[in-house]
Amino acid sequence: MNKALEHNFVELLEKHQNIVHKVCRLYTNNYDAHNDLFQEITIQLWRAYPKFRGEAKFSTWMYRVGLNTAITLYRKSKRTINTQDFEGVAFKIKAEDYDDTEEQQLKVLYKAIHKLNDIEKALVFLYLEDKDYREISETLGISEVNARVKMNRIKTKLKTILNS
Amino acid sequence: MDELDLLKKDWNQNSNSHKVSAKSIYAMLHIKSSSIVKTLFYISIAELVFWILINVLPTFFSKSYNEQLDLIFTNKIALTLINFFTYAIIILFIWLLFKAHKAISVTDNAKKLMESILRTRKIIKYYVLYNLIVLTLSVIAGLYFGIKQSPEVSDKLINASQSETFLFYGICFVLVGFFTLCFWLFYKLLYGLLLKRLNKNYKELKKLEE
Repeated sequence: MNKALEHNFVELLEKHQNIVHKVCRLYTNNYDAHNDLFQEITIQLWRAYPKFRGEAKFSTWMYRVGLNTAITLYRKSKRTINTQDFEGVAFKIKAEDYDDTEEQQLKVLYKAIHKLNDIEKALVFLYLEDKDYREISETLGISEVNARVKMNRIKTKLKTILNS
Repeated sequence: MDELDLLKKDWNQNSNSHKVSAKSIYAMLHIKSSSIVKTLFYISIAELVFWILINVLPTFFSKSYNEQLDLIFTNKIALTLINFFTYAIIILFIWLLFKAHKAISVTDNAKKLMESILRTRKIIKYYVLYNLIVLTLSVIAGLYFGIKQSPEVSDKLINASQSETFLFYGICFVLVGFFTLCFWLFYKLLYGLLLKRLNKNYKELKKLEE
């Protein structure tokens, strides 16, 4: 792959990396796992990038690849990247990032979301990212009606957890 | 206020807590993927190579194996046909696997991606099943011709009582069955572990559509 393509990709990913971090945050519980999943999503995005035609927004395309990696392709690995720079970057996620929210209610909500299954998490993720049901259904490959029904069930589930 | 709306507010505020530098992203582009597709790809290559070697190696390296084949297949055309069939099946599976792997796209929707991976796994399963059946048949045929062409064993079997003959064949079948079962369990375990999460998530998606 040529340098220009690589440069373009890195620039875009650096700009939109929050999407990947959010996926990792939802599907992992600690720094190492977050780091590992971030790497795998980056690899998958990079491998798919030459086919990215720009019909969809880069961010929309990232949602799909990110979620697909998290719920389907990802297999925990023990790899460690030896790059000095990588070790040194502000990538370390403090434990507080996961549960140190100001409000108790949020704390409980995040905890509850972590307990959802992979598919429910994907639905919640897309909902939190303000995606409409059409996009949610297209990303997961289910019908719009079923996406809506499932989302309502998740909301009820979370409400129950919160009130209990 | 909806619980999730409360979360949404926090979700978007909280998103800038960590940043990976461009330099680190560059470094990541050169790491090897550890995805299940990659593992599945390596396993399918290993399967192909393993069974091709099982099929091919004895004909190249074992003189006695070739002599046995010559004894069994007095008709050369039959042997050529069997060889042709074996290689045709191998080529067919290579082509099917290649096509299935190419069809796996991370940019498909989640359900389609899972189905593509499961289709690849199914092809490997059929390939293994085909080889196990061929192996079992070969062992049975080998046993049959081995006994037929060995006067010593044939005489013993002719003179053996009915229960002894029964015991002999019984042990042979149990052994063949046992090894086939071991192979099958090994594959079940291998793919079961590899695709456990995928299967679970696929079932969950299917359940949503019921």
